[in-house]
Amino acid sequence: MPAAQSVSRPRRRARPWRSLSLRARLELSFGLLALAISALLSVVSWVVVSRYLLAQREQVAVTETALDRASLDVALARPGASPASVVSGLPSNDAAASVVFVDGKWYGTKSELAPGAIPDSLLSTVSHGEGATQRLGVDGGLYLAVGMPVGRPGEAVFEVFSLVELDQTLTTMGLVLASVAVVTTFVGAALGRRASGVALRPLTELTRVAGDVAGGRLDARLVPRGDPDLDPLAVSFNRTVNELEHRVQADSRFAVDVSHELRTPLTTMLNSMEVITNRRALLPDSVREPVDLLADDLARFRTLVVDLLEISRHDAGEGLVLERADVGELTRRAADAAAGRAVTHVEGADLVGAVDKRRLERVVANLVGNAETHGGGCRQVRVERIGDAAHITVDDAGPGIATAQRTRVFDRFARAGGDSGQGVGLGLAIVQRHVAAHGGTVHAEESPEGGARLVVDLPLR
Amino acid sequence: MGRRVLLVEDDARVRRVLRLALEDEGFTVLEAADGRQCLERLAEGEPDVVLLDLMLPDRDGFSVCREVRRGSEVPVIMVTARTDSHDVVAGLESGADDYVTKPLVAKELAARIRALLRRTEPLLGGRAPRQIVSGDLVIGVEEGVVTLSGAPVGLTRTEFRLLVELATAEGRICSREQLLDRVWGYDYFGDSRIVDVHIRRLRTKVERDPANPRHVVTARGLGYRLAG
Repeated sequence: MPAAQSVSRPRRRARPWRSLSLRARLELSFGLLALAISALLSVVSWVVVSRYLLAQREQVAVTETALDRASLDVALARPGASPASVVSGLPSNDAAASVVFVDGKWYGTKSELAPGAIPDSLLSTVSHGEGATQRLGVDGGLYLAVGMPVGRPGEAVFEVFSLVELDQTLTTMGLVLASVAVVTTFVGAALGRRASGVALRPLTELTRVAGDVAGGRLDARLVPRGDPDLDPLAVSFNRTVNELEHRVQADSRFAVDVSHELRTPLTTMLNSMEVITNRRALLPDSVREPVDLLADDLARFRTLVVDLLEISRHDAGEGLVLERADVGELTRRAADAAAGRAVTHVEGADLVGAVDKRRLERVVANLVGNAETHGGGCRQVRVERIGDAAHITVDDAGPGIATAQRTRVFDRFARAGGDSGQGVGLGLAIVQRHVAAHGGTVHAEESPEGGARLVVDLPLR
Repeated sequence: MGRRVLLVEDDARVRRVLRLALEDEGFTVLEAADGRQCLERLAEGEPDVVLLDLMLPDRDGFSVCREVRRGSEVPVIMVTARTDSHDVVAGLESGADDYVTKPLVAKELAARIRALLRRTEPLLGGRAPRQIVSGDLVIGVEEGVVTLSGAPVGLTRTEFRLLVELATAEGRICSREQLLDRVWGYDYFGDSRIVDVHIRRLRTKVERDPANPRHVVTARGLGYRLAG
């Protein structure tokens, strides 16, 4: 339906989410959720851990600086103490640099870190008698400067601690957390895929079983898995199919029973008619014609009852009796017998396969019989092997079958095309069923010489 | 007087009309309405052929067939409702020589009876040797007697005819279609289960171990042959 497609397309474009399959949507949802959760957790843990580590480091630095300040206080208070020697006499700790600011001059380690790197703002804060810390970036390295007032007002001690190790630790942790977030995202998506598979399995199963039922396998059932959410679906589905199966079976049993019951009166009629026909010469002229009519229709009635029995037994689920046979030879014999003359051309010899001989004989006989009765006579029957299948064509000399009628001729009691107004009965419906039971196909087409051509493709196993 | 057909059928109207129509075909018809009557008629004198409906009111046709077979080699044609069921094989295994399906029509029935009676007579006018020896199996073609290591083997006439057909092929393979044609008078479309069941029945009589036949050998997918 192209019209419907052109209508639905813009709607799909407007809502791309809808156009995704349920499976893809679940997968995407799980992935995004996993990403969000893991990203949030990563960021929070990074922030918490980094703050904690920094605070720890700062506390250690402040403690160390306080210890140094205490000893400086004592040392600087000594008369004649030189600030430079006092600073160099400080016990060693893990500070990268230690300097004191006394009388507007710097004493202590001379390096790029101190005193040059001590910001003026820090110096002025500490000079005013307040201890302070500040993080510094020097030559790409991260440092912590701790300043404390010492000695007289305006004097201060500064110690600079390296934060490079801490910085590396935090970078590594950040990388690890980011990778964990990425991996979690994919694991989430995979879980979503798996979950959708698990969630959709009952639906997949339902689709398969419903397809089997639609295809005629009425014994197909859903197996309850013991899941309280899904079992009611399985139970109600199975109940529906049960009812369908019972109805179909009742219908075909009815047809079987009817045709069985018809055979007893049919036996009486056919044999009585034989006795009468044997004495046809004795009949008065006025009776002869109605008796002939009756005889003809009795023969048709017999065919109909036998066909009805055959088709209803098939519908009731009768199985195939397979045996190896030469399909070419079987077709030749059945077709020639049905036509009463040689009509068959067998191409090649490799046509042996496992078939139900009785049914295949019916197929060929019905096709040829149909061509004889409704198609102006059978023109030719051809059998050849195409691939793994026997390809049987039956051409007739009639006006052909209208395109619209070509699938309907295989319906039960289909009407023959046009003028005669006579039903083709069950012959072609039986053909269709028997061929399908063999896993083959039958269709009608136009013969190159005019007329109709019925084509059977029968797999040779 | 024509051939005597014993018609075993419970429906009186069908019996009446078949009697009329078969008499028209030149047969003498004896009637039996159930299994008990069938065995009574047989005890009174053997007909040429028994036409046995498998669905009888008093007992099932298979057991009637087995009982008929116990005391007689008369050819039995069973009448079945359908060709597909196990009825056919079960009927043949209980001793029937052939089967027909309903609705019965006297002309077709007459053709089957004639084919059956033709083949069950000692025929083979001079075509076959008088005696065929195959290992410890000796077939007296003219007398209709078979012995296995000197002991006589009781075959029905159809089984005998089948054995002779295989024996005259002189070890060549006979396809089921050929056997159906020559022994039962069917064309290609006969039911080859008839041949298979008769071969099974034959093996239980002429083979020491029917599961490993040495005389009547299966040529897989082709047919059967008699091995020396």
